[in-house]
Amino acid sequence: MRDRFTLFLRPASLALRVTTLVGIAMTVVFLVFNWISVRSLERHFAEMDQDELGVVSASVIRALGEVHSGADETALYHAVRGHHGVYYYVADAAGNTLYAAAGGPDLSRLVAHNDPVDLAGKREMTIWQEDGKFYRGTAVRVEGNAKGGGRTYVVAVAMNIGAHLAFLGSFRRMQWWAASIVMSIAILVAWLAVQWGHHPIRRTNAEIRKISSSKLDLRLNPADVPIELEELVASFNDMLARIEDGFVRLANFSADIAHELRTPVTNLTTQTEVALGQPRSAGEYREVLYSNLEELGRMSRMISDMLFLAQTENDRGNLRLTDVDLGELVKGVFEYFEAWAEDRRVSLQLLGLAGPVRADREMLLRALSNLVSNAIRHTPLDAAVTVKLVQDMSITTVTIENPGERIPAEVLPRLFNRFYRVDPSRQRKDAGAGLGLAIVKSIVEAHGGFVQVRSDDNSTIFTIVLPSPRGRDAV
Amino acid sequence: MKLLVVEDESKMADYVRQGLMEAGFIVDLARNGLDGHMMAMNERYDLIILDVMLSGMDGWRILQAMRASGVQVPVLFLTARSSVDDRVRGLELGADDYLTKPFAFSELLARVRTLLRRGNAPTHHDRIQIADLELDLARRRATRAGRRINLTNKEFALLELLARRRSEVLPRSLIASQIWDMNFASDTNVIDVAIRRLRAKIDDDFEPKLIQTVRGMGYTLDIPDEG
Repeated sequence: MRDRFTLFLRPASLALRVTTLVGIAMTVVFLVFNWISVRSLERHFAEMDQDELGVVSASVIRALGEVHSGADETALYHAVRGHHGVYYYVADAAGNTLYAAAGGPDLSRLVAHNDPVDLAGKREMTIWQEDGKFYRGTAVRVEGNAKGGGRTYVVAVAMNIGAHLAFLGSFRRMQWWAASIVMSIAILVAWLAVQWGHHPIRRTNAEIRKISSSKLDLRLNPADVPIELEELVASFNDMLARIEDGFVRLANFSADIAHELRTPVTNLTTQTEVALGQPRSAGEYREVLYSNLEELGRMSRMISDMLFLAQTENDRGNLRLTDVDLGELVKGVFEYFEAWAEDRRVSLQLLGLAGPVRADREMLLRALSNLVSNAIRHTPLDAAVTVKLVQDMSITTVTIENPGERIPAEVLPRLFNRFYRVDPSRQRKDAGAGLGLAIVKSIVEAHGGFVQVRSDDNSTIFTIVLPSPRGRDAV
Repeated sequence: MKLLVVEDESKMADYVRQGLMEAGFIVDLARNGLDGHMMAMNERYDLIILDVMLSGMDGWRILQAMRASGVQVPVLFLTARSSVDDRVRGLELGADDYLTKPFAFSELLARVRTLLRRGNAPTHHDRIQIADLELDLARRRATRAGRRINLTNKEFALLELLARRRSEVLPRSLIASQIWDMNFASDTNVIDVAIRRLRAKIDDDFEPKLIQTVRGMGYTLDIPDEG
């Protein structure tokens, strides 16, 4: 059911779209062209007929003059020699028929229905059907002059236009046929063009198929595809890069976990085995259990931290955003670490002001607390850790500065890596599992910000940059 | 106090039961979801500790069924996943608290006691006295052996927490969360420093020493056992 439903909702194929559009365009073009050519043919025939009827009516009028002058009584009968399919009719002003050609249409009706004009050819001519034949004709009033003896006549001329109409008809039929054939060919060509045009897509697809999880380093070459597909290929490559990055990180993550857990597990195993190796006093057993408990506590903290990291990095939509007062947050952190810092003879100071930022309070607190504890830990005696808040339209910056030794430049970028410790030898007692800064980074990035570190001979400065609420709204 | 533990991981279940029993509770244990559901519906407990991932019937459904039939006993649920969704879901279904595995037993015990206390009318004493230590909660003053002791706000809060939960082992994480609102594990010894300072003020010059370190677990305040 659902399949059928999606079938209907699925966008029409590209081939169908292009072919349909070409078909519609061709039809419109043909209809316009057809209309124009038929119209101009009709006009051409009308002009021809008009000329001929003009000549005919002139001859009739001349003949009338001859009849009147008595030169030739029969002039009217053969006034129109040599014109085939042409008929004429002459009446006097009173409406009495003076002459009516045999075999033609009843021209007296034409005279009766149309008010005769003064000269032929200066008006639209009438087309009518009579006895299954088509005629075009007009009626003309001839004012008597000296030549005509002062009398007024009405002359009607008409011609059979059946041949013209037959020609037009066959012209139309021929045009329809030609158009159908041409259009069929055009649509076929369009379809072929689409297929041909899609060839690069199919080829790209075949290339994409080759990319398996073990070959994530493969990239498509944007120069190999038509320009229209270049952007698609570039986006695909970007996506691939992100996937590869994630994949590599995941692999490293698993390796890290295994590696980091190996040490404490080895410790625990050794300790327990040795303890059980020979009978001991209750006090000694208790000692071993306490020691195990501490080790396990560390492991459990590390696991929680790694889970937290995995969650923050994979599920960035999970922030519970509220307006967070950074100053208040930093003060809270200071309050927490105050005694500890005092113990180490390190003082804490807060400079600057910042309005509220949109953030997950709990997470930001964690990030700040990690950075501040880190700073305190690396500050020499009788020195101060300084936290500075700066806010402008687009960003809010928190810098955490502590005096202390220079951190080598080549180490700086690795500080935010998981499990990275500047000094691997002192990894246990004081420093944590090496996840603190990785957690800071993931929290700040989950908030759409970034974190930086720089270090010189006098001090080390960590900077958290967060988008300000107003800046974010503008995006 | 009678507790029900619904947990299908047998080693963990056994130790949780033992630990809770040794802490003075009566503990029933259900080793799968269906038993847990039946026991939760048919017996009266003061608190239920419910694992989310269970065979037979998961913790969510047990919780749902209980709340649907009006069983209002406090529920603490245990989850191996710490995703926000899980937490929100549990709390929406009417759980009272949660703990993410791995957790420390002392943490579990502390939470259990908190939940049980929440049910009863909180003991709102104005004064707490332990040995010759006296806390005037209204005026936020502490005296030991009649001598006034100057404490900072946080020090007093810490002392009050320990005193209110006399003889309970309070894990460092619980102290950090209750006193400083830091709800995450820190790899610093901030709590130890704070306790040391508090000790310097209320214990160093006096006997008996009231604040005790429970190694690997946390701190407790009580009159030490004789011997």
